[in-house]
This record gives sequence, C-alpha cells and structure tokens, in this order.
Amino acid sequence: MPTITFEQPNGTATDVEVAEGGNIMRAAVANNIAGIVGECGGQAMCATCHVYVNPEDAAGLPEPSEDEDEMLDCTTAERTEHSRLGCQVSLGGALQSIRVAVPSDQV
Amino acid sequence: MSTAPATCPFTGAQATPGTAPVPHASTESAVREAPVADWVKIEDLYRDPFPIYQRLRAEAPVHWVPAVNRYMVTSYAACHEIEQDEARFSANERNSLMKRSMGHSMLRKDNPEHQVDRDSYGATLRPGTIKKHWNGIFAQNNEKYLGQLLAKGPGADFVWDYAAPYTAENLRLICGFHNATQQDMQRWSQTMIDGTGNYADDPEVWAKAEASSAEVDAAIDQMLPYLAKNPDHSLLSNLASMPIPLEAIRANLKMTIGGGLNEPRDVLATTVWALLQNPGQLQAVRQDPALLPKAFEESVRWVAPIGMYPRETTQELVLEGVRLPAGARLGVVLGAANRDPLVFEDPETFNIFREKKPHLAFGGGVHFCAGTWIARAQVAQVALPEVFEKLPNLRLDPATASIDAGWVFRGMTKMPILWD
Repeated sequence: MPTITFEQPNGTATDVEVAEGGNIMRAAVANNIAGIVGECGGQAMCATCHVYVNPEDAAGLPEPSEDEDEMLDCTTAERTEHSRLGCQVSLGGALQSIRVAVPSDQV
Repeated sequence: MSTAPATCPFTGAQATPGTAPVPHASTESAVREAPVADWVKIEDLYRDPFPIYQRLRAEAPVHWVPAVNRYMVTSYAACHEIEQDEARFSANERNSLMKRSMGHSMLRKDNPEHQVDRDSYGATLRPGTIKKHWNGIFAQNNEKYLGQLLAKGPGADFVWDYAAPYTAENLRLICGFHNATQQDMQRWSQTMIDGTGNYADDPEVWAKAEASSAEVDAAIDQMLPYLAKNPDHSLLSNLASMPIPLEAIRANLKMTIGGGLNEPRDVLATTVWALLQNPGQLQAVRQDPALLPKAFEESVRWVAPIGMYPRETTQELVLEGVRLPAGARLGVVLGAANRDPLVFEDPETFNIFREKKPHLAFGGGVHFCAGTWIARAQVAQVALPEVFEKLPNLRLDPATASIDAGWVFRGMTKMPILWD
C-alpha cells in the first residue's frame, strides 16, 4: 500500500498507509495526524490541509489546479513553492510514497 | 465501597444504579440512551440559548428535546463526528420544512447528488473570483450603504440601516438578480427562512414563503436567458450554461438567498457589538485593522449565525456513547459546539486573542459553507475597517438597548448606535 510520512514541526515523523487513490488529507484525518484539519471534506475550499511536500517527491506530482492554486493563497502558514493542499494530492500508481511536512499553523 | 458506579469515559456522567444491562460485555455499559431534556423551552432558547447549552453539554453530548422534536447534539466532538460522516448522518431529511419552503437544494442532498449541484456554482464564490471581481463591487456597495447610515445620523440602527441592505445588495449581484432590488432580496430571504422554521405550521407564514418562492422562480426564468447572452460572474450566469435541471437551480438559489444574507449581516453586527462592549479589544483593532479577520473568526465562534442545522441517522448507531435509532432526527447545534469547554478555554468569553482552534461555524465536511470566503471578504476585509474608520468614536446608544436573539439563527435584531 502507498505510504505517507507526516513530519511535524517538532521533527517527529509518522508513517501512514493509504489505499490506492487515497489523498493526503483523508489519510491524515483518519489517522489523527496533528495539524491537518480538513474542514471542507476535500473540496479545496478551506485551506486547512496545507502541507509542504518534500522537494524530492514533488517532481512526480501533477501541477496544482487553478482552484488549489488560489486556495493556497489563503493558507494560514506561509505558502512556499512546496505548498500543496493535502486533499488534492492522491497516492497510487507511480506515486507509492511521499513525505510531507505539516505547517505550524493551519487555522 | 467496592461498588462505585461506572463513569462514562466520554462525558464523565454516571449510570443510574441498577440500569446496567447485566449480560452485556463491559464496553456496552458505556452506551446509554439519550437523556430527555423536557425543561428546554423554545422561548428560552430564542432569548439566550447559551446557559441551556452549558447545562445540556455538561450532562450528555446528545439529548432528546421534546420542545424541538429532535435530538439536540451539543458537544464539539459529536457535532464534528456527524459533519465528517455523511454515510451515517444524512442531510436528506424526511419531512423537511426547508424542502417545502425552498425546494430540494444541495444543502439537503447527500453525495453524489449534492456534488453535482455544488460544482454547478463554479468559481463564483471562490477566492480568485472574489479577489479579481467581487471585492471591488463590495467596496462600492459598502461606500453607498455606509454613506446612507452616515446621512441618517447618530441614533441609526446598525443592522437595519446598514448591515442588512449592504449584505443584501452584495448577494443580489452575486446571484445575478439584475431584475430585483436589495429590498426584494431581504423580503425573499426572511419569508422563506420563516417557512423553513415554520414548525407551528402557520398558514400565513406558508403563504408569504410561497409568494416569495414564486417571485424568485419568475426572476430566475427572466434572468437565465438574459445571462446566457450577457454572461457575468454571477451564480445565475454560471448556471445558465450548465446542464442542471431548473428545479435544482431554483432550490439552490433559494437556499443561497436564505443562507447568504442573514449570516453575513448577523456576523457583521455581532462582531461590532462584541467589540463595542470590549474596550480593550476595540482599541486593539482600531490600532491594528489587521486584527479584524481575527475578530470575525472569534465572532462566528462565539455566536454562530447558523446555530443549528438538521441531520438524520441512516442506521441505529452510537454517537459519543449515546445510542440513537435509525431515522433519528438530529439538530447539530454548532452554537453549543463552538462553546465546548473541552475544546475552547473560557468559551463563553469573546476574546479575539484566544488560542486559534478550528471552530464549526461554517460547518464541515462536504457541506462546508460555500459562501465562507464571500463572507470573510465582504465583512472582515471590506466592511469592518471602513466602519471603524468612518464612524469616529462609534458606540452603542446607552439610551436604547441593543437586542441579540435567536438560536437556529442568531444575531442582532436591534442595534442603535451613536458616533461623533
């Protein structure tokens, strides 16, 4: 199964397994990962599942859609070139593992 | 004593001695029936629901409340669980007054049907369109209606002479009703909302709701062909080119007229009312208007404009230790969840500097408020800075008391103000 590694601001890391096609936000909420809220249930409407994707893993990801891009402007923590919404990044296929950093603030 | 009663791990409540189902496994003893809160009265909820919520929450996360004819869910954890699980908690309520008053909108549909309707709203309510298009229009409308408030002079009512017409005019343009006035929007909104809350089945209330519903249908029928030829950024313009049944368009627009007017109006007034009663925080936002978005979020946490919405169980289940039958009609009481002391420290106090935690005022899960960013923009970004800029020494009129009221919907019903 695909694996997501969540790295907290204090450096602790947690591995979570996710079904093929599952997204980062769902996996985080289902496994009580601190710092991922996922308020809007995955509609790219709330910007509370913001993560920073490990640069080495970012190359394999599709570009953010227009909806995701404008919502990333509304994140509480600073947006960087590695910022993504967890609900818009799905695991599976060629993408079997990813490491993401959880921001210090989500609301 | 060797027979101390078991304590519920979720609520700290203790089972009545002798009622435990003896043959069941020990985990079963934590499950209980919903207590009955026959002491809750609608008129008390309307005046001030918060002491009632405190008492309910302390006793159990879920109660059967005869006066409301529903289970009321008041803990943050239980409300949050419902929002995130539409398989067990359906939005498609049977015998829904909202369906009768406004038609079957996306707010009372489950996925996948809900998502089709929701997607039909397109980019109109999204941050990019707000930034590029709506913020400028909100600023113009704010100048106009704040100007009318100034012209009326000290003693004017903050809600009815400013917040209501300002938010109604914004909503008129967002919807695309170029054939209506902001006064029409206010009348449509209130009469159809009154239908949604017409538990007393008052025929006069239904007559007014039906008249407004017919007016909205006629306005939509007129606007759709016009906007198909002359597109703009409005919802109706977007819908004019979508393969969405007219019945769904009508119901969704009526839901939006109901949910898109009173809520920004109420959060605008409640935020100002709260700040005017907290001089330290008022001074802080005057010195640093960048704090106003914080004041907005704290305001909707403190008094959620939509205090309760319905769900229905699809199966028998246990919610936070309370057994509920299949088909149980629930009231998800956001107004109570947002003041749950297990989540928010000193929850009854308005405090813009409190530790930030996610509140539930916009709901959560797939029905998360589609107008969230519109509300934040028109209230926190456009209106609030200008209110404090243009109304020097703004204060509540000490001679005429303001009134806050309501529980399903809560806001200021009267707010006379003075300024220098």
